[in-house]
Amino acid sequence: MRGAGKGEVELTTLTSTRAPRGATSASLRTFLTGMDWILIVVAGMLLVLGVVMIKTSTSHAIAGNPGYFETRQIIFLLPAIVACIAFAIFDIRQLQPYPRVLLGGLLGALLVVFAIGVTVRGANAWISVGPFQLQPSEFGKIALVVILASLAVERLDEIDRWRTTLMLTAVAAGPALLIFLEPDLGMALIYIAILGGVLFVAGTPWKHFALGGIAIATSVVMAFGVLPSMGIHVVKGYQLQRMTAFLNGGSGNTAGYQLAQSKTAIGSGGALGKGVGGATQTVYNFLPEDHTDFIFAVVGEVFGFVGAATVVVLFGILMWRALRITAQAATQFEQIVAAGICAMFGFEVVVNIGMNVGLMPITGIPLPFVSYGGSHVVADMAAVGVLLSIHRRRMAI
Amino acid sequence: MSSRLVSPAGGGPGGPGRRRQRPLNPRTAFRIAVIGGITLAAIGILVVRLWFMQVIDAQTYALAAVSNSVRTVVVPAPRGLITDRTGKVVMANDLPSVNVVAFPLELTGAQRATEMQMLAPLLHTGVAHLQAEMNNGQVASPYEPVVLAENISSYQQAVISERIRQFPGVALQNAYVRNYPMGTTAAHILGYTGLINPQEYKSYLAKGYVGNEEVGQAGLEYQYEQYLRGVPGQTDVEVDAFGNPVSSAPLSSTPPVQGDTLQLSIDMPTQLALENQLRQRVQASGTATGAAGVAIDPNTGQVLAMASYPTYKPNAFVQPNPANEKLITQYETGGGHTLLNRAISSYPPGSTFKAVTAISALQLGILSPTELIDGPPEITLYNTVFPNFQKENNGLLMLPTAIEVSSDTYFYQVGNRFWHLHDNVASQTGNTNSGLQQQDWAERFGFGATTGLDLPGEDPGRVPTPAWKSAWFGSLHEPSMEPWLPGDNINMAVGQGNLLVSPLQLAVAYATIANGGSMVTPTLGKDVTNQSGQVVRQLSSVTPPRSLGLNPAILSVVRKGLNLVAQGPQGTASGVFSPVAASGGPVVAGKTGTAQSGQNGQSDHSWFVGFAPFDNPQIVVAVIIEHGGVGATAAAPAVCGTIAAYGPTKFNPHLCGVPAKVKSN
Repeated sequence: MRGAGKGEVELTTLTSTRAPRGATSASLRTFLTGMDWILIVVAGMLLVLGVVMIKTSTSHAIAGNPGYFETRQIIFLLPAIVACIAFAIFDIRQLQPYPRVLLGGLLGALLVVFAIGVTVRGANAWISVGPFQLQPSEFGKIALVVILASLAVERLDEIDRWRTTLMLTAVAAGPALLIFLEPDLGMALIYIAILGGVLFVAGTPWKHFALGGIAIATSVVMAFGVLPSMGIHVVKGYQLQRMTAFLNGGSGNTAGYQLAQSKTAIGSGGALGKGVGGATQTVYNFLPEDHTDFIFAVVGEVFGFVGAATVVVLFGILMWRALRITAQAATQFEQIVAAGICAMFGFEVVVNIGMNVGLMPITGIPLPFVSYGGSHVVADMAAVGVLLSIHRRRMAI
Repeated sequence: MSSRLVSPAGGGPGGPGRRRQRPLNPRTAFRIAVIGGITLAAIGILVVRLWFMQVIDAQTYALAAVSNSVRTVVVPAPRGLITDRTGKVVMANDLPSVNVVAFPLELTGAQRATEMQMLAPLLHTGVAHLQAEMNNGQVASPYEPVVLAENISSYQQAVISERIRQFPGVALQNAYVRNYPMGTTAAHILGYTGLINPQEYKSYLAKGYVGNEEVGQAGLEYQYEQYLRGVPGQTDVEVDAFGNPVSSAPLSSTPPVQGDTLQLSIDMPTQLALENQLRQRVQASGTATGAAGVAIDPNTGQVLAMASYPTYKPNAFVQPNPANEKLITQYETGGGHTLLNRAISSYPPGSTFKAVTAISALQLGILSPTELIDGPPEITLYNTVFPNFQKENNGLLMLPTAIEVSSDTYFYQVGNRFWHLHDNVASQTGNTNSGLQQQDWAERFGFGATTGLDLPGEDPGRVPTPAWKSAWFGSLHEPSMEPWLPGDNINMAVGQGNLLVSPLQLAVAYATIANGGSMVTPTLGKDVTNQSGQVVRQLSSVTPPRSLGLNPAILSVVRKGLNLVAQGPQGTASGVFSPVAASGGPVVAGKTGTAQSGQNGQSDHSWFVGFAPFDNPQIVVAVIIEHGGVGATAAAPAVCGTIAAYGPTKFNPHLCGVPAKVKSN
């Protein structure tokens, strides 16, 4: 994309990265000094914490193979770091002209999942690649951010018109609906959250959000309350169970058990935690999915309030850096891309930790960087790479 | 396409509205700030929530976590042994076994129903039964495992342990099963054990029982539960969500302690001989429906042997399997009252009571030992004919001979003197319940009350009184039978009428005659010893013998009579016992009894109670052969055979003779 660089010569960051011709070491130094090191350190700490917590929670999961999940997670870190560096070097604006191509590719990948996907934990969301499974919807998050940002920027002067909002909503709704049908409600909600972040920073009027909020609330009540009582089942039985369990404070069914065990694990951690050796709830498999969606409960049990609050604060720092990058973005496209990533991370963190502590209903959303799983860690680090790339070309406020 | 799309990046040739030099206009900045604010609020809420859970409510969650992951495993303790008086013959012990248990809280709802359905056929029981056990256990003690089946076979063990993953919440548990190695021997004394009944659960829990323990349900197992019970150990182990221990090292453990050994005063040779005699006599008689016998040491009250026939296998109750279930049904419903301990059940004593009548009358001065009283074939008193046994004419008799030949007509007249004694006082005081000297003396000899034997279920028997009679027949709506009549005293004098005594009571009364006039308290338990063999508690001779203050001369006369019964030329049992003494064996004294059972068409009960050696009594034996006929033919040989087996009076049992002819009762 020749045009991208040409168009931004006046921006200070870009100028500085390009200035010393041919001096590789100098350009590397410029590249490195242009990084947001706080963001990198926080993401790195969360990744390492994830490996440690996965090791703790799965040491008794597979008899005779205590290191299985831990080893796999360490292997996943490799593509994750590569993706992060690649996107940090890559200029995301080079994708800006191709929202339709990207949308086509995203929908295509999701349809492929329907055709040849494998089912893991009830959701047909994965494609087998050798000994690993790829989850296209994870990578699709980044694609959606780019697609929506690009389309929004195309229509910035019509951003307060209903047709713009509805068009962008329709674009997000397509992949979200396919994902909902996998069924992966949590991921579908992340797509909606990304849409919200993009629209919000692009400048969609408040009243659109208000009406959108009403629409979402109405559809939730319909899907979980009114329609099931009429015998129409839009959401799966277990999804309904999770909502019931949440509203009951953790009782009555399998989801309630999960929620109660999660709260027991976190609460019993106390102020300082029980340490890796004393974390009976998670180590001895009382808490299902403790290495994936409920990894935060492991942190809470092992490290107590101090550790759990520290993790929350780390995510707070991550959000601070991401929002700072959003604010400093050199172009409106990058700004909106960064905003979509902010919305993605923010939503994932709040919903995941919220469900771990019983403030949110259970939805299959992993904790970014920390939960076990290759696709989401790679996608998370790719998103960090995009943020770093945007940061590299930032402009002073 | 490229030019238009590139333009918003700033500087392209696109429309001016899409160009932004500084994307961060105030409106965008505000919106980013809003996102920041929401993020900050969310972080605040999460941290506050964590504070509440992990700092303020941490204790609650910690408790939940502990009950989640720490399972207290009760390590069963073997029950104490029960041995004979030497401590060498083991009558009850514990064998290692395997139980199937289930944890009610870990196994609920549909999963429980499924597993119970799978287990029921394997455990030879019904689904409903298993479900009931689970429900009872859950109510009584939800954290304790419910025992679904005890002492399962190795086949059952294999089937369950191979499929244990299909049975979450179910486990195999090492336990002990009670065992009675001697089969039916001493069954009615030993009793048996069983799981605590749901109704009694609370009271056992209050006594420190930890859960589904085996407790004594009958006999000495029940009586001496406190000593026999082993104290179960406890091991707290950490388990995973499937209930599997996560390490072999327990968090804490207290070892189980075996129960103490209960040493009985039972003399095994005597016990075996008595049981053998009862079985043989019943089987030989053709009319007998059962038998019972007691042998006690007259000086200490220690029970040397106690048996009841028909008998049963206590193992049937403690080792459940289909064959044993069938046996239990047979014991309980097969007729014959197999489970009844006849040695402590009451019967009319017949002529065995005449010794008590004689002592009472002599003590009261209404009879003299040298007085001659006629013993005709029958005697008419108050217009009622009272016949002698087989209408024999005994002629003029003094007391020892009256006992020797067991003259009914002699003792009818003694009974009539008790009536006059009563009638005089009652008419003077106007109180029909006064002047009950005959009853008072019977009660002094221990009749009408339990002896204090350390065994549950003792029948106090009955000493009839005017008050009892009017109440009894009043309740039966037979007003003509209500008043106390001369015949009541007369019949009681020969051990008939409404008098009921147990073989044990009779043995204790004769022990008093044998030992010179002291009432002993019979005891089965001798000592409780701990694992190192030290006596931790003495059980026999705890209550010292109580002297009745009898005149030695009177005792001597009555004992002379009892001696003649077994040795005299006209003795009713001398055919059985005199050959023993003649061959240098111990001199036996005693009394036959042929008690009318009151059941039409049924043979009389055959009694004999005797002691030996005559001049220094070491053993008293009382035997009844239910509907066994005349005392001398069935019961006396049984007593002879029993005395023959006891160490201090040992002789060749073949010396016991057979009564030449049935002469008297």
